[in-house]
Amino acid sequence: MNSAQPGSHASSPLTRRDFLGYSTGAALTLATTPSLFSITPPDGAKPLRLALVGFGAQGRVLAEAIVKVPGIQVVALCDIWDYAREYGRRFFKSNGTETNGYRDLEELLAKEKDLDAAIVATPDVFHAPHTIACLQAGLHVYCEKMMSNTVEGARSMVQAMKTTGRLLQIGHQRRSNPRYLVARNRLLLEARITGRLTAAHAQWNRAVSEDLGWPKKAAIPDDVLKHYGFPDMHTFRNWRWFKKFGGGPLSDLGAHQIDILSWFFDRLPSTVIASGGSDYYKNHEWFDNAMVIYEYPLPEGTARAFYQVQTTTSSGGGYFEQFMGTEGTLKISENPNLTVIYREASAPSWEEWVRKNYLRVNAAPAPDPDAKVDARETAALATYKLPVVTNKAIHQYHLENFFQSIRGKATLNCPSDEAFRSEYPIFKAIEAVETRQLVQIQEPSV
Amino acid sequence: MNPNPSQTPTSEPVRFLGCSGQTLAFLSLRLWLGLRALVTGLEKFAAKVNIQEPLLDAQGQPDPSGAVVEIEKKVYGLSHYHAVPESLQTKFAGEPLLPGIFTGPFYAALGPILILLGLLLLAGICTRLSLVGMALLYTMLTFGLMLIGQDQGVSWLAIHIALVALSLSWVEHNRFTLTRS
Repeated sequence: MNSAQPGSHASSPLTRRDFLGYSTGAALTLATTPSLFSITPPDGAKPLRLALVGFGAQGRVLAEAIVKVPGIQVVALCDIWDYAREYGRRFFKSNGTETNGYRDLEELLAKEKDLDAAIVATPDVFHAPHTIACLQAGLHVYCEKMMSNTVEGARSMVQAMKTTGRLLQIGHQRRSNPRYLVARNRLLLEARITGRLTAAHAQWNRAVSEDLGWPKKAAIPDDVLKHYGFPDMHTFRNWRWFKKFGGGPLSDLGAHQIDILSWFFDRLPSTVIASGGSDYYKNHEWFDNAMVIYEYPLPEGTARAFYQVQTTTSSGGGYFEQFMGTEGTLKISENPNLTVIYREASAPSWEEWVRKNYLRVNAAPAPDPDAKVDARETAALATYKLPVVTNKAIHQYHLENFFQSIRGKATLNCPSDEAFRSEYPIFKAIEAVETRQLVQIQEPSV
Repeated sequence: MNPNPSQTPTSEPVRFLGCSGQTLAFLSLRLWLGLRALVTGLEKFAAKVNIQEPLLDAQGQPDPSGAVVEIEKKVYGLSHYHAVPESLQTKFAGEPLLPGIFTGPFYAALGPILILLGLLLLAGICTRLSLVGMALLYTMLTFGLMLIGQDQGVSWLAIHIALVALSLSWVEHNRFTLTRS
């Protein structure tokens, strides 16, 4: 057994041998230590007590959002890296909460008996075992996307959600973002500003970056790394690039955006072709760039969606999802500055939608008539803004939806069964890259 | 009845509300110049601000998404006061013939003076003096625009000066005033 006691943050000797099967590795923990300060929800309800499992880059992003939500206490923190655990302990202490630190999840679940929910932000390969363990311990779970690096892993999470009857929210946070909700529900479904949808284009282009490093003095001992399945510290820090642990850029970045394609089109694609490769980074297993084309069989005809993820250039407009139709185009991004709506000259008036505050006319400069080089060019598009503002961290809305669902005041915006259906085409895109063949996509079974 | 049938009857000018054509012409100018000055002065206290409100659904209830929309609204207030656009102020600041010791007080007074002159003209208080003051004010503005080579603005203000001059030439036909001058 791990000798670390609740509240102990010192590195504990590795004596556990049976952690959760394949993974034990990552870190999980929950603690029951009461917080120093009572954080009471606005309606006087009992605060929700959470465990944060995994305190890497994404765990920190979630922690930043969680501490802004009233009525939430992170009382336990789990990570195999002492350095990250200590950082997390200090972070939550500075926000008024004492947390118990654990190296592995099994011990956390054994000792922390007063938890309501767990937030899982470990490497993808650990999502399924960690999530299932938490669900079976009676906790509601918010798990980061991708659900898993395998279809089977993701499917097992859905099955666990159904058998335990607990809530399982997947971290496709755009589904709770008011800007995305208004874009989908008001502009596309109600106003139908695009007319007939014929195409979509989404992308995430990032500049070249160095692999993640670590303070040499804080390196995890080799025996600990190996115990949790990592061959070395470089792999631990850069797990996203290795097939054993993650799904590569189509999974890390594309998961958010391909999810939006399926959500906005309200169906799965029927086929996918793709190309990708490891052409730049020589020490990564996953491809660094990929281009994917899906076909979506919409009731009014096929719409094609092109998705590209680039990790070698930030050029080309950054990251966005763009839905193009006969009467208009909706280009949306988590970055409001990259969001714009275009109206075709022949489209019906959008005055009603402007009056309802679904849209705002953009004061764009008049096009230069001398710049037209071909008499057959289509008239310039009028541009509009999406006037919805977001005053919270982008993950906060999705976390709040999870917490409200636990309290019975909302329903999950991205339950695992829906997330699995949405993530399934990503697995198929990876398959298309690897086989270099057109891949048919059927409704996945659970 | 004509008291002297041997003489040709003199044709009386057509009057409206007892006003001669010159009086009506002057009143038109007084009304236009007064409104022009008043509105220009008020607009110097105006600004467009973004206000955040809940997005409402068809029933007027907050949208289920909890979305908040940013709506641009025009508001008035002392805190929004701006005498001239910032771009012009920058250009004026570079002019050696427009030292800050003069432009500062001028900027501070411009808006209130325009409002005051507009109200005085509309109410018919010290009309002649108000017109002279207006001519001086527009001339000062024109001087600044001349220095920075804003010929379009100079022409624009020249129209104002011409209307003020025309008003001064017809000021004897003034009526409907609160003071006699």
